[in-house]
Parts: sequence; structure tokens; C-alpha cells
Amino acid sequence: MNRREFMKWSVGAGVVAGTSMVTGYEKLFSSTSKAASLPYHLVAVKGGEPDVMFQKGIEALGGIRAFVKKGQKVVIKPNIGWDVTPERGGNTNPILVAEIVKQCLHAGAKEVYVFDHTCDNWQQCYKHSGMEAAVKNAGGKMAPAHTENYYHDIALPNAKNLKTTKEHELLLESDVFINVPILKNHESTRITISMKNMMGCVWDRRFWHGNDVHQCIADFAGYRKPALNVVDAYYVMKQNGPRGVSTNDVVLMKSQLLSTDIVAIDTAATKLFGENPADVRHIHIAAENKVGRMDIENLNIKRISV
Amino acid sequence: MHWLKRVRILASLIFFLLTCSLFLDIWYVVPSAWSMGFTGIQVLPALLRTLKIFSVVSVGFIFSVALTLLFGRVYCSTICPLGTFQDFFIHLSRKIDRRKKSKYRKPLTLIHYSFFAVTFILFVAGSPLLLNLFEPFTNFGRVASNVFGFIAIALNNGVSVLLEQFGIFSVYHIPMLRFMAGSMLFALAFAAFIGYLSYTQGRLFCNLLCPAGALLSFLSRYSAFKIRIDEHACKSCRMCENKCKASCIETETKTLDFSSCVGCFNCFDACPTSGMKYEFSWRFKKNVSVDASRRKFFVTLFVPAVGMKMIAESLEKKNDYQINRSHPISPPGSVSVQRFSDLCTACHLCVTACPTQVLAPSFFDYGMAGMLQPKMNYNASYCNYDCIECSHVCPTGALLPLDIAEKKVTQLGRASFIKSDCIVVTKKADCGACSEHCPTKAVHMIPYEGLFLPEVNDDMCIGCGACEHACPVRPNKAIYVVANPVHLKAKKPQEQKPQKVFDSNQDFPF
Repeated sequence: MNRREFMKWSVGAGVVAGTSMVTGYEKLFSSTSKAASLPYHLVAVKGGEPDVMFQKGIEALGGIRAFVKKGQKVVIKPNIGWDVTPERGGNTNPILVAEIVKQCLHAGAKEVYVFDHTCDNWQQCYKHSGMEAAVKNAGGKMAPAHTENYYHDIALPNAKNLKTTKEHELLLESDVFINVPILKNHESTRITISMKNMMGCVWDRRFWHGNDVHQCIADFAGYRKPALNVVDAYYVMKQNGPRGVSTNDVVLMKSQLLSTDIVAIDTAATKLFGENPADVRHIHIAAENKVGRMDIENLNIKRISV
Repeated sequence: MHWLKRVRILASLIFFLLTCSLFLDIWYVVPSAWSMGFTGIQVLPALLRTLKIFSVVSVGFIFSVALTLLFGRVYCSTICPLGTFQDFFIHLSRKIDRRKKSKYRKPLTLIHYSFFAVTFILFVAGSPLLLNLFEPFTNFGRVASNVFGFIAIALNNGVSVLLEQFGIFSVYHIPMLRFMAGSMLFALAFAAFIGYLSYTQGRLFCNLLCPAGALLSFLSRYSAFKIRIDEHACKSCRMCENKCKASCIETETKTLDFSSCVGCFNCFDACPTSGMKYEFSWRFKKNVSVDASRRKFFVTLFVPAVGMKMIAESLEKKNDYQINRSHPISPPGSVSVQRFSDLCTACHLCVTACPTQVLAPSFFDYGMAGMLQPKMNYNASYCNYDCIECSHVCPTGALLPLDIAEKKVTQLGRASFIKSDCIVVTKKADCGACSEHCPTKAVHMIPYEGLFLPEVNDDMCIGCGACEHACPVRPNKAIYVVANPVHLKAKKPQEQKPQKVFDSNQDFPF
């Protein structure tokens, strides 16, 4: 580490220490420790509409109140990366996100924010994905994430490649973080689920692409742990991912997964998708780093058919 | 205040604000159809477009011509945004110096018309340069887009930062991707030039350099209603001459050169004896003086333009990568780089309308003759696959309207992949940012030494720049778009239904 790197690192570390003192976002991590007390490690639901499947799934985990307390600020991070409509399977289903927003508010959340650092133009993405209308309708707030000023420096001391990055301020300020990816094909990382979805939490994605994208995905997953992951596998893009070319890329799977363990849920989702989790390097690295468990055959899984 | 002047002021403010709303549409709320309908009455852009296609714009053009044939150059004091812009300075000059008086100036008709002829011949010969430099809507648009737009976004962002502190995100931060130092400097310089000229000389620009002014001046010679001075009522008090913005009233001869008159009706307001008449002229003998001046005037705007290029280049935010393209990439709907460059006056309405801000003013990328014309700037952003906004706002027809289906196969250029620079090869790690962003999957990934390497299908590429924008390699991008001098038609993406591996009737595979 040369002097410049050290300066950068210490500034980053200082910011994190400072913000955590001010905003108390360490609460985020405390919520993950609850995982042990949950009835199931993983819940898999199939055969229903996105909102109904979530209702059944969250019920099995003890209801939304196990995750969201009265007066808390909640941030939901779906995938809204592309300027495509819901049936194209490029973005998380807005019906699912709206249901989560509703439940959080019902549980007494003070505010519920939804954002994504989109790839295509953010306004077109928010609009054409149906997300903006659905979230607003449900009482949530869509937050912008398209310019650097919404992001703040953080340090990832345990990371291998991604030592520092800039994270969206809502993640730094919120009490509860719910990660809601969509399951789909990805031509370069093979598949995109919960861990890959968190690439939309940071400003500079080019750094990830330029510095071993799998390692960076795993690095970030080791730092930022969602209170809950909900994988939308209703419309699933099987090819030409992550953007897709047409509805011909999409199959109807009508499924959903819920877990606090990001590695376990990505492992299960990869199997659902029809690939071998061992082939997806970032899942592998994250499991090695003890971010979560890949051995889902040893976990307590609840399977629900709607 | 005389009612004619009152109507003129009201109309001019309405038109001015409407024009501003197009160029200051930083929240992208103005529909392109409205924009197109409104710019249609801007006489020269509408004429250029009408020469290409007959559309709603043509109705506007006919309206403006008919208006002039009826009432003279009232256009210049109401519809023309640059006219109203000058009126602010003229108003200011009279507020600051209350004794300031206009004096009659011999009409510069010969120079003005000759200059128009040169402008028009040059345009027909394939260079819109003089229109670019002097057309009033274009120049006002550039000032509004580059200068006012910058201020508006800066204000918006200030407010957004304040509201953000209270967790309010409805006013969001707007990136300033489309602003180019050269173009901003040029617009500022023009604003200073027109401000100074109008402050000291009134509407001299309109009667010397303005091509729209020349066209309307010629038409106004045949107007149905004309202003004249009633020789019996006139006491030669000079009040009208002193207030005349166009310096077209000569008290000594009690005449008014109607072809130079911009229809501001200040003289009606100034005359103490009701000596100004606005009369139906077709049955009367013409009493208009058509005294062409031979005064010489040198237009020396080119020298500062070259100087500014040098300043602009030194100020231009350095891209973190450089690609030497043989041609700039022209926007969708332009058909070819040449055609676009021949028709675009660089009003920057498309730049303002572009939601991704991938369209940005160039400086001399299209050559001297095409200065400031917009190009695709993939450093800042990339062209949205489902967007056709720019092609639907162009007032001159340099961009022809595309529908979504046409746009999706319009190939502006082709992606060129340099394997030896790619991360996958140099760092032996997966990346795929280019393929990820590609809307047609012309850029797709193929197996490569246990990793995945991009490959380009030329025929399917539309040159949108998504791959180039996303590529993390510096200083040389491993993938970038090479312009098509003439836009081509891309092949539609191939579609095959994937195999279904799981449906909800099966058991979970775990």
C-alpha cells in the first residue's frame, strides 16, 4: 500500500466510521443476526402471482414484522436496470415490489424507498418497468440514483479487490435493506441473482468490470448484507441476458425464493434456473468467504405450492 | 400605452416563454409533437423542413408568411425569440439612459438582401454555415440551450441538494453531460454580440444580417396593411423617430421604410398627434422609400470563431479516452453524415430533447461549415434503444422522424472490437460489460479459455454506443463504434425460444 492508497483508505474508513456513528446503520447488520431465530433458512414458493407468493413466503418466515419494526426506514433494491416492460423479464416484477412496500408500511415503517442505479436511462427504466407507478401507488418513494452525488465513500476492509467504493446514501441511512433481484441469464457472469443485483448499489460499476467482476461481486456481498433477499422468478430470462432482446427470451416460472442468506438463495436460484451453482464463480467465492452457505441440502427449506 | 404596442408586448412575451420552455425542458415534460408544432412557425427552419417534407411544420410556415403579407414584419417583434431577446436589451438601454434616442439610418437593403442571397446560395450548394451563424431561432436556441439551460440545471441541482437533506427526492439531480465548453462559449459570445449590438444600435441585426429578416423584409413590401405617417397630422417632433427600434423613420421626409420596420408599434405610442396610420395599402399608391444603401460592412465573425475553437479545446473537459473517428456519428434520422451536415443549423433543440444526453454539440467535427452541429457522444452516455425523441423535434428536417421499428434497425455505425485490449484477454477475468448493455445482442459472449469473450455481429449492430460507453478499458476502449458515413439498415435480432427447464408444476430442484 503506497501513501496515496493509504490516504484514500483512511479517508474511506473515516467516512464509514463517521457515518455509522451518526446514522447508526450498524443496525443493518444486527438484523442479519436474527436469521438464526427464523423458522426456515430458505423459503421457496411456486405457482402463484408475485404478490400472493410473497404473502405466503413471508408468512412462513414469521411475517414482515420479523424484519421491519415500527418507525424504521426501509430501502428496497429491486433490479430496474433496463428500459423494458415487466414481461421482458429484465427487471424485478413491480407487483412483487409493490407488495413488499405495502407490507413494510403496514408493519409501521416510517418510509420505504426504492431505487436502482440503472444501466439504461433511469427515468425511462423507472417508468417503463412499471416500477415507479407501482411503488408510488403502494405508498413508497422512488429515489434517484443516477448521479455520483447520491453516493458516498465506503471502505471494505475484508475485500480482496473492491477495497473502497461509493455506496448509495439510502443504504447508509436506512435501518432495513431488502434486496429484491430478478433471476435471469447473464452472458458474462452466467447468471444474475441477489449478489449480482447489489452492483446497482454503487456508483462505479466499471471498476468491478475491470477488476475481476466475480471477485468484486463477492467482495461487496461480504460487506453489505441485506436483512432479506427475495428472488423474483416469475418471468425468467433464459437467454440474451441481462437485457434480453424480446419476450422470446423469457419463460414463465411463477416462482419466488426468500432468505436472509444471500449465498444460499443464489445457490437455490441457480439450480432453479437449471445451472450448476459451482460454475458461478462469485457464489463460490462468497461461500468460501463464509458470507453464506452453498450446502443448501443441509438447510431447513420450506417449500410452498400456491 | 397604445393598444397595438400592448398586444405586441403581450404576444412577444408569450412566444418568448414558449420558445424558452422548449429549450429549458430540463425535466423532459414537453411532448415532441408540441415542440414540432410550435417551431413550425419559425420561418426559416420551417422553410428548410418544408423543402424536405410537407408536414405540420409547413402549416406554420404558411402562417408566418401569410402574417407578413397581411401585417408586415410583426413576426420580428412577436414570434422571433431573438427579436424579443434584443428588445430586452433595447428596453434596458432606455431604462439606463432615458435620453437615449434612435436616429434614422439609411436602409441597408442592398447589403442585407445580398447577404441573404449568399446565405441561401451557400445553403443550396450544401453548406448551412451562414444560417448556422445568423439564423435567429438557431442562435437563440443555442443561447437558451447552452447558457440558460446550464443555469436552469444548476438551480435545479441546488434545490435538489437542499431537499435531499429532508429525504425529498422529487427534485432530482440532473447530470450536465451535454454541455460542451466550445458550444457554450460560442453561445455566450453570440449573446454578448447581439446584446451589445441591440443595446447600442437597436434592431440593426434584423436589418443587416438576419436571413429571416431579409425574407420577411422582402415580403413586407407587398403587405396588405402598412404603417405610414400622416403628413398633415405630423408636426415633425421626432418623437417616433427617437423611439424607433429599427431606425426606419425619417422625420425630414415624413417617411417610414416599411421593409425595415419590425412592427413594434413604439411609434404609435410615441406620437402625440395620432399621426401614425396602419392602413390597408393594396389600393393606395406605395409611399415606401426603397432607398438602397451602398455602405459597406465587414462581417468579421470568423476570426473570433477560430480563436474560440482554440480556447474551447483547451477548456473542453478531457475525456478519459480518445477515439479518432474519421466521421462523427450523426444522430438517428439524419440518413447520412453528409446530409445531416448539409441541413442542420445547429439550434440544439435535439440536444435539449435527448433524455440520455448522448447528443451533444460538436465544434468542428463536421468541418468548419458544420460547426456546432450535434453528434453522438458515447463518452457521456449512449442512445436509448426505445427512444426516437431527437428525430421528432428537428425544426429543419436535418433529422427525419423515425418510428420505433425503423429506429431499432437504423445503423449509425458499427462496433469494432479490439481483442488485444479487452479485459478478458489482458487480465484473464470475466467482464462482459459491453454485451450486457447491448440491446440487440449484436455484441454477445463466446467461450474463451474458461472465460467469456465478446464477439460482434456487424449486421445486427445499430451503433448505439452502449458497448463503448460501458467498456471499462482505458486509455483505449476495447470496443467502440465506427461511424457509418451513410446510415445502413441493420438486421433484426434473431429470435429463438429457449428450452423450458422448470415450471411450477414440477418439484423444486433442491
